[in-house]
Amino acid sequence: MIKRIWRLLPGPLYARVIQAVVLATIFLVALHFFYDWLGKVMLDQGGTVG
Amino acid sequence: MTDSAAHLEDSPEESRLDATRLIHNVGWTFIYLGVFTLGFVVHQLFITTWFAQQAQSELTVERIEQWGDTDITEVVVVANPDNPNEPIIVSADEAPGGASGRAEPLVLKVESRPETGAAFALIRIPKIERLQNGWNVVEGVSTADLRNGAGHMPDTALPGQPGNAVIAGHRTTWGMPFHELDTLDPGDRIEVDTALGTHVYSVREIHIVRPSEIWVADPREGAWLTLTTCHPKFSARERYVVVAELVFGPNAEVIEVMS
Repeated sequence: MIKRIWRLLPGPLYARVIQAVVLATIFLVALHFFYDWLGKVMLDQGGTVG
Repeated sequence: MTDSAAHLEDSPEESRLDATRLIHNVGWTFIYLGVFTLGFVVHQLFITTWFAQQAQSELTVERIEQWGDTDITEVVVVANPDNPNEPIIVSADEAPGGASGRAEPLVLKVESRPETGAAFALIRIPKIERLQNGWNVVEGVSTADLRNGAGHMPDTALPGQPGNAVIAGHRTTWGMPFHELDTLDPGDRIEVDTALGTHVYSVREIHIVRPSEIWVADPREGAWLTLTTCHPKFSARERYVVVAELVFGPNAEVIEVMS
């Protein structure tokens, strides 16, 4: 899948590298928030009552 | 011959190719799921803890500054039967030990309430290695507050004051300050440092309750500290609650007489 996305990126090599870095950053930030939400729901709500 | 008829008569080689493709796709799906799950575990156990430790370093500096800015006053008080969290402040003459009263007036040291999110205390539990050097306590129990440190529930007494001071903390993520709270037994010591000094509590009760059981935060006569965290480990289904009584500190004697 990663190879397929790489091939779909337009422009010369340096432009594709920049786009790949931007996409990877967006993906990791989105994943962080998703994991965070999942952890709060499933594992640990911080221990508060009420 | 129509297309559908041709499809029905796929050669054994093509059928084998379809099966191979299916196995390949199923295999990759499991690999993606495995990587996703591993990522979740690493994120929850290590990345959140890294963020919490960074926040703790900053909060230590903030707490020391906060202690310098805290207003400490001495007030003459009598116990409030309606709300033990808020003793009634009286003039010296009206006090039980005042002009018409007994031996000495009850003088309580009171510190100003911190702003929400501010680090104002340090909790230490000698029996728990993770908490031997202390963990900063912030005012508030919002998601953001509890990521930085243990959170003091607003509207409950401050540590070292009459009533019930309630502090919540993460069990398995975000630095997991209360990970080993279940190792505490009655009689174990809990120390809380505030701008007033060190307040020493002794564990008296342990409860396992549902998250909706707000009674654990109810005011109590005397001075108490209630620690709450998720239970069992790696689940938010219940709450593990440790209740400790103030036994030593700047206000301990006065509060004992008041009670």
